[in-house]
Formats: sequence, C-alpha cells, structure tokens
Amino acid sequence: MATDFWSSSHYKRWIVDRATLRQARADDLLYIDDAEHLDFLAIYFAEIIGKLGKKMQIPQRVIATATVFFRRFYLKNSYCETDPFMVIAACIYVAAKAEEFPVHIKHLVSDARHIFSQQYGVKNFPSDNSKLAEMEFYLVDDLECDLTVFHPYRTLLALCKSDASDDSSTPNEEEAGELGVGITADDGPRYWGTGEGQLELPPNGLQTAWFIVNDTYRSELCLLYPPHLIAIAAIYLTCIFHPATQETVSALLAASGSEERDREPPVQQPRRSSRQAAERKKPAQDPLAFLAELNVSLPLIATIAQEIIAMYTLWERYKEDGSADSGSTPDSRGGDDEAGSIVTVAQLTSVLLKMREARLQDIAHPSGGRPAAVNKMLERTQAAG
Amino acid sequence: MMDEWTSNIMQNDPMRMYRAKRDTSHQSVSSKYSILGFISSGTYGRVYKAQSLGEDAKIHAIKKFKPDKEGDVVTYTGISQSAIREIALNREIDHENIVALKEVILEDKSIYMVFEFAEHDFLQVIQHHATTLRNAITQPVLKSLIYQLFNGLLYLHSCHILHRDLKPANILINAAGVVKIGDLGLARLIYQPLQPLFAGDKVVVTIWYRAPELLMGAKHYNKAIDCWAVGCVMAELASLRPIFKGEEAKLDSKKNVPFQRDQLLKIFEVLGTPDEQDWPGVKDMIEYQAMKRLDPYTNRLYECRLTAKEALQHKWFHEEPYPTWNAFQAAPQQIPPQRRITQDEAPSMVPLPAAPFNSHTQSKPGSSASLSGGGGNGGNGRKKARMG
Ligand SMILES: Nc1ncnc2c1ncn2[C@@H]1O[C@H](COP(=O)(O)OP(=O)(O)OP(=O)(O)O)[C@@H](O)[C@H]1O
Ligand SMILES: [Mg+2]
Repeated sequence: MATDFWSSSHYKRWIVDRATLRQARADDLLYIDDAEHLDFLAIYFAEIIGKLGKKMQIPQRVIATATVFFRRFYLKNSYCETDPFMVIAACIYVAAKAEEFPVHIKHLVSDARHIFSQQYGVKNFPSDNSKLAEMEFYLVDDLECDLTVFHPYRTLLALCKSDASDDSSTPNEEEAGELGVGITADDGPRYWGTGEGQLELPPNGLQTAWFIVNDTYRSELCLLYPPHLIAIAAIYLTCIFHPATQETVSALLAASGSEERDREPPVQQPRRSSRQAAERKKPAQDPLAFLAELNVSLPLIATIAQEIIAMYTLWERYKEDGSADSGSTPDSRGGDDEAGSIVTVAQLTSVLLKMREARLQDIAHPSGGRPAAVNKMLERTQAAG
Repeated sequence: MMDEWTSNIMQNDPMRMYRAKRDTSHQSVSSKYSILGFISSGTYGRVYKAQSLGEDAKIHAIKKFKPDKEGDVVTYTGISQSAIREIALNREIDHENIVALKEVILEDKSIYMVFEFAEHDFLQVIQHHATTLRNAITQPVLKSLIYQLFNGLLYLHSCHILHRDLKPANILINAAGVVKIGDLGLARLIYQPLQPLFAGDKVVVTIWYRAPELLMGAKHYNKAIDCWAVGCVMAELASLRPIFKGEEAKLDSKKNVPFQRDQLLKIFEVLGTPDEQDWPGVKDMIEYQAMKRLDPYTNRLYECRLTAKEALQHKWFHEEPYPTWNAFQAAPQQIPPQRRITQDEAPSMVPLPAAPFNSHTQSKPGSSASLSGGGGNGGNGRKKARMG
C-alpha cells in the first residue's frame, strides 16, 4: 500500500467528483448569503489548521493529513450543523497519530484555545480534554477508519532532484536517509507512470513546487484528484512561474530545436549523490518535455493547474485582519459586493456563526415549513440535552 | 433575537446536533453480533468470540480495546496510538495470510475491531505437540506453516510495514489450516518516517523474539527484525521450545530501557558473539560496549539474515514435501484442539445501558492469557514489554 496508491483507501474511497462536493455543501448554501464565501471558508479553515499546526510544531505532512481529514469530514457533514473549530482540533489530533508524530492532548487543547480565541475570536473551545477525545471518536468513524493519506510531496521527491537547499521547510532527505538501509532505498517502481529518471529543476525550484503543493490544501483539490497529479501540476506551475525555470524553458523554446526531444536519457543516480550532481554542469533538460513523458494526461494537469491558479486568485482577496475580536462589526468592510472585494477573517468567522445560529433556530422552530426529519432530530437533540 | 435554547447550544455545545444525528444512525455491536465467549486478554485489548446476527451467521473475533491509562486512573485521552495503527494499517491491507479486519465499531468510548475468526495459533500448535502429542511437528506441516508465514510477511514488508511483534501467539491459523498473521498493534509504516523509529516506541518485539540489533540499542532498524523473529519462531516450531529463552530485565523506575544482558547471552551462546568484522556497524550500537564484556565467540548475525523474499525462494520450499495451503493437509491428526472460550472471565462485553462506561474493563494485570497454561514456559518472555 505504501507504494501502491491504486489499491489504497485514498484512491478507492476518497477521490470524489465535483457533483459530490456540491452536494456536500447543499445545506450550507441554504444558510449563506454569498455562495463565494464557501470558497473563502475553504481557505480560512486550511489557514487555521496550518496556524495551529505551526504552533504545535508539527511537520507539514501532518498538517496536510489533518487538512485532508477535515475535507473528508465535511463531505458528509455541514458547517452549519457542526463546530468546525472542534473538528479542526480533532483532525490534528488524529493526523498526528496517523503520521506517527503524536501530540499530547493537553498541549493541543491549550494551543487550540489560544489560537482560536486570540486570532479568530472563538472563545468557547472547551478546556476539558474529554470533549476533544469524544470528537476524535466521531471523526474516526466518519473517516471510516481510513487514516492513511497519500500526499503530493512523495511524488515531488520521486520526480525532482533535490536542489539541496538548506531551507528547513523543504524535505530533508537526510532525515529519512538516516533511518538506515532498506527504508528509502527500496521504494520500488514509481506507481504513477513510466517516466524515467528525475527532473532537474533550477535552484529552489523544488522548494517552489513544494510551496505550491502546500498551498493546494487551501482548496478542495485533495478530494478531487490523486496526489501525484497535483504534484505534477505544481511542477508545471513551477516551470511557468519560477523565474529561473522560466528562463530555462524559454531558452529551450527559443532554441526550438526539435532534436531537444530526444536528448540523452537522464542518468540514473542514487539520491544521495544529488549534491554532487548539482555541482556538475547541468545538461539542458526541458522540464515540459519531461512532464510530457510521464504517463499522465497533460490536459488534466492543465486543468488542475488552472484550479490552483483560481485558488491563488481567491486567496489574494482573503485578508487576515489582525483584529482578534469578532465582535468588531465585521460587516462594515464587506459592504460593497462588487467582485474582487476583500474578505476578512472576522467576516468569515461571523458568517460561520450566523449560519449555525440560523440552522439552530430552524430546528428550534420547525413551524417555518421545515421537513419532518428536522422535528425528529430536534427531539433527539433535546433529549440528549 | 436568539432564544435561550439556541444560544445555550451555540455557546456550550455546538456539536450537539451532530452527535444526535450520528447516534441515531449508529448500529450497535450487540445489534450486529452475539458474543459467544471470551478468548483472551492481551496488552491492549480483550478478545471475544462472536457470531454475526446477519444472514451469514459467521464467526468472528472481536477485539475490544482497553482505554488508555495513566497510572491507575483511567484518563480518557482518546484513541491509543496502538489502536490507531492497527485500524489504519488493517484498512489498507488485504492478503490471505493476514487476519482480515471486517469492520470497526466505535461505541460508547470503546473501539471494537471485528476480525475473521482463526481457530488456532502457532502457540497452540507448539503446546499441543509438546504436551499432548509429545512428538515433533512433521516436516510437511512445519514447512507449510513457515512458508505461509513468510508469504504474509513478504506482503507486509512490500507494503513498507514492520510488524514488530511476531511471536507464536500472534500468528494464527484458521480452521482450514491457513496461516493468518495477527496483532498489528505494534506494527507501523516505515515509509518516509517523520522521526526515527525508536523515537516512537522505545521497546519493540517480545523479548524472546527480539533481534540482537534491538537488544543492543540500535537506533535504526528495519525489516530484518521481523525476519529474526520468524527465525526464532521457526526454531521453536522445530524444537517445541523457545530458542533464546532469556530473562527480561525490567525497566527501572525512570523508565529507562535496560540492557537486556541475559537475552543477548542466550543468543550468543548459540551463535557466538559478533565483532566488527562479522557485523560492520555493530560498534555504533549503544550497548556494544556492554555486549563486548559478554563471552566472545565468533559468528555472523546480521548481514546474512534472509529477507522474506529470499526465504520464499529458498530451495527448501521448492523440494518435496511441498508446502500446502492447508498446513495440516498431510497430518490432520496434528491439528490442535479448538480455541477455548470462557464465560466467567468475561463480564458482558458491551456495557449495559445504564452502566457507566468502562467500569468493567479494568481487567487485573495478571488475568491474561488462558493460553499460557500447559506449556510450562515459566518465564515472561512471551509477553511483550511495552511502554510509553
Ligand atoms: N482473529 C482472531 N481469531 C481468534 N483469536 C484471536 C484473533 N485475534 C486475536 N485472537 C486471540 O486473542 C489474543 C490477543 O489478541 P491480540 O494479539 O490481537 O491482542 P493484544 O492485546 O495485542 O495481545 P498481546 O499483547 O498479548 O500481543 C491472541 O493471541 C489470540 O489468542
Ligand atoms: Mg498479541
């Protein structure tokens, strides 16, 4: 399984289509004025998970897994009927265990309380550990016990030569290599295609791709596409956006020699020698041709790349406003509804609260022509009181 | 404008609607299975024999996890790392030589893992031969058991999973004679780990089956530790006694991992003491200096250990008598008796509606293993030393 995505629970049960995503938000749409806010909420939640994760000093992969858990949970549930802050904490708690990087529940609760109240004005996160533990239970159940998640990082590492940058946020191969023989050396054949060798991105290129992958968790792409495709889309975007890569690409395009295509096959090298490799003079390798050789659909990669760009466009308009207090009339800024307006964190926090409140009131006063199912649930809820 | 009910929920229990919805649709363990009896109590859970109430009326083994304890107080801190592992790994794997997980039921703060039922295990077979039949396991049976064990192990390893607790009690055999590796409670994925393996679990593998590199405090270890354990299991099947039956040194009061002197001695008595020439890198292991003070013999321990794949290719498996899928095909008289179940040791598994949760789950530390009787295996080497 660790090498075989195609037989994983991730592939078999958790890649969904757009229609399923829309259906999952159907109830929320009833309680939200501006449907676009749902997309902003997707960013908002990813930001919160990232912030809490950073505060807890957990690795990026754990944050990514927590985010995937969060998205999967909301395939089955509505924002307006749950407390996403509680769900976020539970996702981090489970993800940390699933990735073998466990955190102490006490620390998580206190960090969550801190971040949620200081930065999001959410002051009612319970200090009682057992509330989080209880949520963990429901969460694991809703996740159908599928706790092994694949991420694009793995493909990035398999595809790209490390540029040996010393930035700690890029993967540290030594970290894994240190663990001894037989752990990284025998990954087996790459599961996603037939491309051979590795792509040599210019300095920091891998880091750029890595950051793009991080950013994709602000969208729901992880539910729509297999991770290796997201990784390839990130490399594709790196080639387009990264100045140094762009230079390589355009130089190659300008030279436009079609014989570029049958360049000498890349030399197979053990990973650890990447540093020496970087010191050698680089052969002119055409990154786009490399991607074209992979056994994946390029139009699909382009589509994913477009969706990543759409996320960036949206993210441009998302603003942390620094004001921790949600009481400070958040609507004052969202007054003008023209496209391209700024959406603030405080605004989204209040949107969330309003949704939940409206939903609750509908349940409390079913006279408003709500379906009978709601009445039944009300009984349950009040009985559970 | 918000009424009191709404604002109360908003403020104090925003997940209440969600829970109500979930609880309504929940199908309880007792609505799906009837408990036939209690099988065994291990480190992490109690295992019951159960029958599906559905059409198929199939027999299952249900493992109910104990809640995590800190000291003597049951502090409910959520699902244990062990349970998460066993659940997460089992959901991904599928192989005829691994016990299949049918479903997981989360109910009243307890976790119930429903497995296919396996009538026997290696420990039973060994004890049946040692005490009842009083003869050796014959070659066709022995070879089939080992072949299938390696076959399951190869699958785990090719999935980048280390089992880390292979021993006779954890290797099951179903009524059709097919070997089923069980108990993935200590297993883990080793694919691109975020931190060194030893950081997560200071002690792995039950002492008698623990590889020398682990005994010597190696920080890095790999699939070879499982192959060592299989080697020990093989020897035990062949001789009906544990091959390296050392005394386990206990953790000290500060929970430091002790040097397992006796266990290493038992190994070196048989294999000799390795030196830098036999085993490059041995010097770097924490306990090497301690080890050097033990009796010096010469032998090779590590480099020449077979992988699961190499083992399966070994010519022993490719000559007569060939291994069979029903391990007992050639010798049905060697089938050990059916798994014993008891009623008295098992207070009702599922809490009564009114009972406070987990009041009954605090099994006494010594009340485990109805299987441990009969073998006269005095020591505690069959029980794992787990901590942290
Ligand atoms: N599928 C099964 N069918 C029949 N019996 C089983 C099954 N699974 C487990 N058992 C019995 O229950 C015992 C304990 O199960 P398991 O090893 O999974 O739990 P554990 O708590 O990790 O135990 P330990 O700490 O002793 O290793 C097994 O040794 C075996 O006797
Ligand atoms: Mg066991």
